[in-house]
Amino acid sequence: MRPSTIKYFIKEGFGSLKKNLLMTVASIIAVIACISIMSFSYCTVTNLQYMLDQMEDSIGISVFLKGDMTSEEIESMKQQISSIEHVTGVTYVSPRDSLENLKNEWGADEDIFIGFDDQNNPLSHSFQISLDQIESQGAVIAELDQMEGIDNVEYGQSLSEVLVRVSRIFQIGGLLVMAVLGVISVMIIINTIRISVMNRRVEINIMKYVGATDWFIRWPFIIEGVIIGLVGALVPLIVGMPLYSKVVTVFYEYVPFVESFVHFRLTGDVYLFLLPASLIFGVLLGVVGSVTSIKKHLQV
Amino acid sequence: MIRLENITKMYPNGSKGVEGLNLHIKKGDFVFIVGSSGSGKSTLIKLLLKELDPTEGEITINNVKTTTLTRNQIPYLRRNLGVVFQDFRLLPNKTVYENVAFAMRVIEAPSRVIRRNVPAVLSLVGLNKKAKSLPNQLSGGEQQRTALARAIVNNPPILICDEPTGNLDPDTAWGIMQLLEDINRRGTTIVMATHARDIVDVMQKRVVTLKQGHIIRDIEKGGYDDEA
Repeated sequence: MRPSTIKYFIKEGFGSLKKNLLMTVASIIAVIACISIMSFSYCTVTNLQYMLDQMEDSIGISVFLKGDMTSEEIESMKQQISSIEHVTGVTYVSPRDSLENLKNEWGADEDIFIGFDDQNNPLSHSFQISLDQIESQGAVIAELDQMEGIDNVEYGQSLSEVLVRVSRIFQIGGLLVMAVLGVISVMIIINTIRISVMNRRVEINIMKYVGATDWFIRWPFIIEGVIIGLVGALVPLIVGMPLYSKVVTVFYEYVPFVESFVHFRLTGDVYLFLLPASLIFGVLLGVVGSVTSIKKHLQV
Repeated sequence: MIRLENITKMYPNGSKGVEGLNLHIKKGDFVFIVGSSGSGKSTLIKLLLKELDPTEGEITINNVKTTTLTRNQIPYLRRNLGVVFQDFRLLPNKTVYENVAFAMRVIEAPSRVIRRNVPAVLSLVGLNKKAKSLPNQLSGGEQQRTALARAIVNNPPILICDEPTGNLDPDTAWGIMQLLEDINRRGTTIVMATHARDIVDVMQKRVVTLKQGHIIRDIEKGGYDDEA
């Protein structure tokens, strides 16, 4: 294709969009809505996932055993727990180790533990269990509850479960809203291109008589769709990037201590995905819309 | 150059456009296609442009059997055929220059060639001073000259004219006919469908007369009503 031809297509594409401004704006807004929802869901889900990952490193399940167990019984329980699906490690912690850990945690105040020693230790035998992923915690706990000899199971239940659930909701909800808005965008783009085709009926007719190829006639309309998609993708990017870093900064600033237990993903990392994803998705919406419209309305 | 063999065109509603046409047009010919409304003139023009395909028979243009061309090949056939219509069909928002350049641009001619050929063809049709005018600033004759310039700017070997003088007053019509004769003299084959009795009578070219889809007369040099 000649550079002058490409220039001509782009000029024609922009020309049609300008002539048909109201529909152009409507199409662009639809794409903006779709891509904004995509960006918002992605930011939320990726950050929740990121927080869950951070917690997975630190959170496991603690199992406290009933008092009078022999070391053989403890060993067989360890085997049993290891064989549960999703369990990646089981560490036995003796009452003595637990006491040491407690003393260490309390540091300077370890005086309160005076009087407790190996002979007089109220703490029980326990296991530290680590999991492959936080989502499987519920299943593992259900298995543990079935087992004999367990006094108590402790785990970071509420927060992790809430995070998993919220992340799911945003993932599914985001995809659903995105799909609906995507279909709406494509439909509006189809209409916009249809009007452009109608506006240029005479021109298309002449083009055919003087021997323009089908693709030469189609290209300006496809470019029109691509422009709609690109502008629709650029707006949420330009607004979203600074907005994301602002929200993160505000969060760190106003929620006390939040920084010490959760971290948000860096703007750069988030947009490493969102930048190409938005552009590709926007252009895709535009191309699907214009190609569908051309097929239906442009009898070349 | 153009050969129609045993061409029949039936429309889906059962009416006959043309039936059993045999026509051979040589390179450099100037042929009038005459006949009253409904005689099959428009059908014949559409068959030549491959806007319609014949129900039966074979059409050969420039040694290419157009009846078997695929969709993708049609544009290349049309580049051999300049077309002029009764209603001019200019783009109202483009200047005279742009209307003519448009025909070159859509077949992807290099800009350099466009800049050279458009002014040349505009001066041939006598419109070089009107290059920047819009169609609605032109008279009917000037609009048809623009359309003619657009039809010949890519140098097609064949020019097909469908009632090119139908919307023009007699004087203006003669101007267009003189141009067509010039173009024909330079080697372009011209097929012109017309109602204009006086023009046909004066020009004394080949006249093919259609009636109800049949060729009823084909005279080498003649007038509108001459007997074969």
